[in-house]
Amino acid sequence: MPRGKRRHAIDMRPSEDDQQSTKRQRNSYQNSRRYSKTDDAFSQKRCLTWFREYTTPDDPDTLGPEGMEKFCEDIGVEPENVAMLVLAYKMGAKQMGFFTQSEWLKGLTDLQCDTASKVQCKLEHLRSLLNDPNTFKIIYRYAYDFARDKDQRSMDIETAKAMLQLLLGKHWPLYAQFAQFLEQSKYKVINKDQWCNILEFSRTISNDLTNYDVDGAWPVMLDEFVEWLRQLRAQPTIS
Amino acid sequence: MDQTENDRKRANFSALSNANGAIIKMTANAGTGKPGDIKKIVIKNFKSKPTLPDNYQEQTWQKLREAVIAIQMSKRIEYSLEELYQAVENMCSHKMDSQLYVNLTALAEQHVKANIIPFLAESGDKLVYLKKMNEYWQAHCQQMIMIRSIFLYLDRTYVLQNPTVHSIWDMGLELFRDHIALNGLVQSRTVEGILILIEKERHGETVDRTLLKSLLRMLSDLQIYRDAFEQKFLVATKHLYQSEGQAKMEVLDVPAYLQHVDKRLQEENERLLHYLDSCTKHQLIVTVERQLINEHVTGILQKGLDQLLEENRMADLTLMYQLFSRVKNGTTELCAHFNAYIKKKGRTIVIDPEKDKSMVQDLLDYKDKMDNIVNTCFERNEKFGNSLREAFEYFINQRSNKPAELIAKYVDMKLRAGNKEATEEELEQILDKIMVQFRFIHGKDVFEAFYKKDLAKRLLVGKSASVDAEKSMLSKLKQECGGGFTSKLEGMFKDMELSRDINLAFRQSMQNSEHKELQNIDLTVNILTMGFWPTYPVMEVTLPHELLQYQSIFNKFYLAKHSGRKLQWQPTLGHCVLKAQFDAGPKDLQVSLFQALVLLLFNFDLTIPFEDIRTAVNIENGELKRTLQSLACGKARVLTKIPKGREVENTDKFQFNNEFTNKLFRIKINQIQMKETTEEQKATEERVYQDRQYQIDAAIVRIMKMRKTLSHNLLITELYKQLTFPVKPADLKKRIESLIDRDYMERDKDNQNQYNYVA
Repeated sequence: MPRGKRRHAIDMRPSEDDQQSTKRQRNSYQNSRRYSKTDDAFSQKRCLTWFREYTTPDDPDTLGPEGMEKFCEDIGVEPENVAMLVLAYKMGAKQMGFFTQSEWLKGLTDLQCDTASKVQCKLEHLRSLLNDPNTFKIIYRYAYDFARDKDQRSMDIETAKAMLQLLLGKHWPLYAQFAQFLEQSKYKVINKDQWCNILEFSRTISNDLTNYDVDGAWPVMLDEFVEWLRQLRAQPTIS
Repeated sequence: MDQTENDRKRANFSALSNANGAIIKMTANAGTGKPGDIKKIVIKNFKSKPTLPDNYQEQTWQKLREAVIAIQMSKRIEYSLEELYQAVENMCSHKMDSQLYVNLTALAEQHVKANIIPFLAESGDKLVYLKKMNEYWQAHCQQMIMIRSIFLYLDRTYVLQNPTVHSIWDMGLELFRDHIALNGLVQSRTVEGILILIEKERHGETVDRTLLKSLLRMLSDLQIYRDAFEQKFLVATKHLYQSEGQAKMEVLDVPAYLQHVDKRLQEENERLLHYLDSCTKHQLIVTVERQLINEHVTGILQKGLDQLLEENRMADLTLMYQLFSRVKNGTTELCAHFNAYIKKKGRTIVIDPEKDKSMVQDLLDYKDKMDNIVNTCFERNEKFGNSLREAFEYFINQRSNKPAELIAKYVDMKLRAGNKEATEEELEQILDKIMVQFRFIHGKDVFEAFYKKDLAKRLLVGKSASVDAEKSMLSKLKQECGGGFTSKLEGMFKDMELSRDINLAFRQSMQNSEHKELQNIDLTVNILTMGFWPTYPVMEVTLPHELLQYQSIFNKFYLAKHSGRKLQWQPTLGHCVLKAQFDAGPKDLQVSLFQALVLLLFNFDLTIPFEDIRTAVNIENGELKRTLQSLACGKARVLTKIPKGREVENTDKFQFNNEFTNKLFRIKINQIQMKETTEEQKATEERVYQDRQYQIDAAIVRIMKMRKTLSHNLLITELYKQLTFPVKPADLKKRIESLIDRDYMERDKDNQNQYNYVA
């Protein structure tokens, strides 16, 4: 995996720190002293110590939902804020609501953050990443695997709606109708192909649906959505 | 002709004899003279040239002039015609011909000019005017003929030698044209008069056709037919029929209108025959056709075609076809509407579930009717034949699956034994017609599924009417759809044949075996190859000891011959003949295996409660109830139910009915048919549907495996090429999505319209 290799090649030092981290954790005095001294430079150790603040002794290598809540509070971001998604993407987090130690280190090393305030400063940057269409697409696709229940191949419809709201809610004028469509449809899950095509749809199909080709390769779900919406619009609106 | 020929000859001779200038005398006394005499030929000079009197020219002309004027005035001619002719001839001989011609022309012109006056006067009645005109024209012709006869010599010599000069007849015509016919007033009056007459005739009045003919001949002789008459005539025709067409279309129904058009066309043709110039024919007919047919093609078709087809009005349809084939695009339009009608009507046959019972027969009748119309009314026009087929194919597939199913059932009905309504040939014909319908069906797999189910029943119960008919149907199917389609059906027939041989061999081996106690029971086994036959639910039942023993003997016998095979007994399909002893005497009971199992219990006990029967035979509850119902509540009640009643309850008891009577010796006790039709049908449909899903999946994977990467549209096109049953694009998409979901293929990351094969 390229990601693993790269990380290994670039950062030789952190691995060193990794080994010492357990020792350091016990020595909190020393830790806090270092903390104050080298305030602005990124420190892997400090980063790791910070990670420990959110973990429980039972599972020191994984930051769980409770820790996540606290973490969000510390950096002053709602858990359902899109910035959290980008942050998770940066970490390469596999599962929503959890960060593993390696994910944490990788992501925060990339961002050069080891304190809450540093992360806070980066939030704008993280959000701005979404403005690049290509990065957005990658994050959008990442979001599917990130958010879905790992026991299942497909994402349940409620999660899907929440994620779509998060990612497309602002930019896609038809999102409200689409959510409404899902509400009344028989769909219980969304598969990855459908998920990816929703983004494509939101990007290429005009709001009046005139450039939608039913004979195109669109998944049947979108065919149905278009038909549903056209019918809805054909009806005289009751005001 | 003869006359003129003679004239000419005489003229030549007279020229010889009258040229009394040079006389050649030839003394040919060779015969009479003595030998040695010198022959002398003497050539003498002209004696003297005869001279004409000085005033010869004036006098002769005077004579001729008088004669001409006499002719023009219709008076007696003073001189004999011979004399006059001679005079002309003489004048011509003396080179007075050109002067003579000029004089004659002037004379004729003067006369014609003078004659215009009455035609310019105010005229009241058109008819009178026309008659007068005709009279004058006739007179003019008469006169010119007369004059020409007299001046024939002039015509023959002078006119012929001078190409620029008109013949006397032509000169006469020209004068008439220039001075009379080309006169605006005269011409318009005449033409108007003619047109009024024609219009009158068109409105049904009788008119003087000879007058019309004569006048129109005049116009064409004068070479003004086209300019003066034809244009106006065609315009008048157009106006007349334009308004008539519109009016009649509103008033008349379509057949009457068509009759009317036909009548009109006939009339116009007659008109051509009787008085119009034949050069008008094309334009006139075209005009009439355009106004009466072309303009109303759509109207006629929309208003009346459906009704005509509905009521099978052959004569009217034939007429319609004939009329429409006269105009451009007429048959194309007719064909299109014909097509639309078939589709519309056909749809009503197919689409209504309440008419399912008669659907196939209706389809056959409908096809016959339409075929008949194409053959007799539309002259077997290929375009119509194709359109007919296309329309059938279209509407039959408007309702998916059901027509295919019903056609299969219809065939079953026809092929089943006891169907005595048709002879072999008739049956063959029916099958041929059925095949025509079958050809239209898109989902042939549905037909196959139902056909197979029914065929299995026919074969297993031995109910097939005729092996020949079965084979014939099979070969038809094979021809139509290829061996792949019929291989399973053929397999079923083969199974039946092999089973016959196996049974023979088995019976022989039984005779030699030690199982003497089983020899008075006959066993026939049909070995069905799994896969060829429809799948039947397996039911475990408790068989009597003898049968179990028999089964195991057969198992051994069969597996000894064919090792490595597995036999599975299907009790649901078995049937037996039981010998029963009633008070009234012995009977043979033809029953199903289940019925037999129940009846055999009564060998040991005369009254048995329901629950005991169930434990003894171990037949599924519902099935057992139906079986008992057939034995105790049906037509032949060999058991008595206690208490009596139609429905079988768990608490009922059953008793052997000793008093059972029936006039027949062998009695067939029908099984009560489960209301299985809908369920069974659903199951068959479901299976076909499942099969199709697999076929689609397989096709997609096959294509993708070959192409590796393919755009959506190309994939869909390929699929439609490969799949033999109708599918909606949405269904294909669902299968594609399912395959994507199952990682057989993936959507291209950058191009959502493209798929990649995943190995």
